[in-house]
Amino acid sequence: MNKTQKPVLIIGGGISGVTTAVEIAEVGKEVILIEKMPYFGGNVVKFNNYFPKLCPPTCGLEINFRRIKQNPRIKYYTSTEVQEISGEKGNFNVKIKTSPQYIKNNCTACGKCAEICPEERPDEFNYGFTNTRAAYIPHEIAFPFKYHIDNEYCKKESCNKCVDACKYNAIDLSAKEKITELEVSSIVTATGWESYDASKIENLNYSDSKNIITNVEFERFIASNGVNENKLLRLSDNTEPKKVAFVQCAGSRDENHLPYCSAVCCSASLKHALTIQELYPKTEVKVFYIDMRVSGRNEDFLTEVQENKNIELVKGKVGKIIEAENGNLILEAEDILSGKKIKYEAEIVVLATGIVSSKTNLNLNRDQNQFITDKQIEGIIPVACSRKPMDVSSSVKDATSAAVKAIQ
Amino acid sequence: MINIQPDIKFKKQLKEVSKSSLNECMQCGTCSVVCSLAPEEKPFPRKEMIWAGWGMKDKLIGNTDIWLCHQCGDCSTYCPRGVKPADVFSAVREISYQHYAKPKFLGKILNNPKWLPIAILIPIIIISTILYLAGTLQIPEGPVNYSKFFPHVWLNSSFTFLSFLTIALGIAGLRNFWKDLRLQYPDFKPSGSFIKHLFSIRKEIILHSNFSKCSNKKSRKIAHLLVFYGFILLLFVTAFAIYAAIVHKYPLAITNPFKILGNVAAMMLLIGLGIMIMNRIFDRKDFGNSTYADWLFLISMFLLTISGVVVQAARFLDWGIAYHLYFFHLICVWFIIIYLPYTKFGHLLYRVVAMVFAASAGRK
Repeated sequence: MNKTQKPVLIIGGGISGVTTAVEIAEVGKEVILIEKMPYFGGNVVKFNNYFPKLCPPTCGLEINFRRIKQNPRIKYYTSTEVQEISGEKGNFNVKIKTSPQYIKNNCTACGKCAEICPEERPDEFNYGFTNTRAAYIPHEIAFPFKYHIDNEYCKKESCNKCVDACKYNAIDLSAKEKITELEVSSIVTATGWESYDASKIENLNYSDSKNIITNVEFERFIASNGVNENKLLRLSDNTEPKKVAFVQCAGSRDENHLPYCSAVCCSASLKHALTIQELYPKTEVKVFYIDMRVSGRNEDFLTEVQENKNIELVKGKVGKIIEAENGNLILEAEDILSGKKIKYEAEIVVLATGIVSSKTNLNLNRDQNQFITDKQIEGIIPVACSRKPMDVSSSVKDATSAAVKAIQ
Repeated sequence: MINIQPDIKFKKQLKEVSKSSLNECMQCGTCSVVCSLAPEEKPFPRKEMIWAGWGMKDKLIGNTDIWLCHQCGDCSTYCPRGVKPADVFSAVREISYQHYAKPKFLGKILNNPKWLPIAILIPIIIISTILYLAGTLQIPEGPVNYSKFFPHVWLNSSFTFLSFLTIALGIAGLRNFWKDLRLQYPDFKPSGSFIKHLFSIRKEIILHSNFSKCSNKKSRKIAHLLVFYGFILLLFVTAFAIYAAIVHKYPLAITNPFKILGNVAAMMLLIGLGIMIMNRIFDRKDFGNSTYADWLFLISMFLLTISGVVVQAARFLDWGIAYHLYFFHLICVWFIIIYLPYTKFGHLLYRVVAMVFAASAGRK
């Protein structure tokens, strides 16, 4: 192996990017890992639990974070995005921009700054359902484990309270953004995915009802560090629901929205239905679907759901949701098996929204569904959900394969 | 066991007319939910879409639901697969006119552009023959007087005769349609007379109440109401004209109340048809795929009305080409009347019969 070879750049620090990074570093190569958020872990770190073993995200991520911390071959940047890429395989020049780091790395996460901070910001980690102070720590297992200051909400020098409160002199409110130039041999784009914007599906009325949430929001509702802390309460009146409905293919397999199948939402809703049964064994759950698309070992969830008397799978796509005065939601579908129009009144509706490849400012080839194609200039390797919808275990396998490609 | 007998020829025709891919339908049922006319039990159009995919002609022709649809297009708008159920329904209706056509060849020549010259030639030959028999097949001298060209006795008797012939042929087709409806709903035991049930749907017909349930595109309902009442008014005025020609002074003066009524009706038709044509040209997305048969009916109605107005002007202004225009107008009249059961005009018959059947079978 060539010792003078330049490092591999990995764009995106979700579970795929992190996996690619440690796999490459652990075979003795240099890696630079960048992430646009102030923390690593991407979407997975927001989950309550994930496939296939239903571990909480701490399970897989913490060990990987430790592998990053202990490995001197991995250099990492958070709050950082790529600005420009030039060059070719073996010789890429990349400009990256790190947004102002108002809290320096000597932060001990004592929390005094947040205590004294008078400003509030919507917590992106909980999809804005909760607020934090403008000085905040992203979440309990955040890596890097340090506080941040939200540029948009902080009043800076006119307030200055946190600067005085910090015993470690870790706060510098005059910090500026930083441009770094890198020379790398190859680039892995692990830019990941976003949940489809449910407000675009007009007939499902997501924007008009607090009690309609998406599947990713559901994860944040019930997570132990989430909105309701291991509970599922509806936002309109904080009650525990006795009837929950899942709407499959909310946007997916729909030419007006996402023409493709997002691959994971069926399994995810089955998982969610079972989670509700664990929390509230008497709550009735209905899952409205076109086809139940679960494969591999996830089929066990289907069997388990079918055996559960409180969960009913209804074949028929929900075409309309209307909110009643008491905040309940009336779903309309045609029950295909009986050929009747049915109306079902639920207290909470969960939309199984699909996977959209994250937008980036990188100039990459995308297919008609906006996923990053495998055909890029040599040395640029897309991975996992940036190239097609897949679940966590498939993403991790894809990350290993990307790692092998990147070091060749 | 369900016995499925696909009719490949029918499916091909349906695909051609509707421009829908049919088989891409994944039977999710979104269409049935967003349709504001679909009943709770066995809603449409989801079930029709699988029949269409299988080419099950028997199920689709002779089906009330095909005619309960007023084609607002919501199903096509929300369809996740772009299979356009609304266009499939309108295609089935179009194929129905041909299927029940008596005699068959008329159904064929009116739904294929290649036979259009023949379709136009038939009324020309009929009119020329009548004029020849009346001995007036030439341009008369003197001030314009249409009765010199087409004597009233000949005009009124031939017009009345052909109208009745059309109605008789239309009823023959409707009888077969009714038989098929009965086959489709074997459990249905008819109760009450046809007239009684026709009376029960008067509100839907008079006020177009289903039409307004159907769509937020208000201009569709207004246009149809204008054309519907404009046409009825003109029929009424024509009936009076025939009566006047026998016992009264004819032609009517421009200030005669019936003449005025006739002109108001013509305006209603022109405005209504104008909206329909504009909508189809400028709002393709919402008005779906307009077929040849749709345009043929719309344009022939438009030509009928506009030529009627021009012919009237030619009489009062004593134009030299008045008789040529009159001849053209007569072709339009004959074209519309004798082809009624075979063109889109046939919806007047088939839709009403299907609605009566649905009412008597208690399908809401």
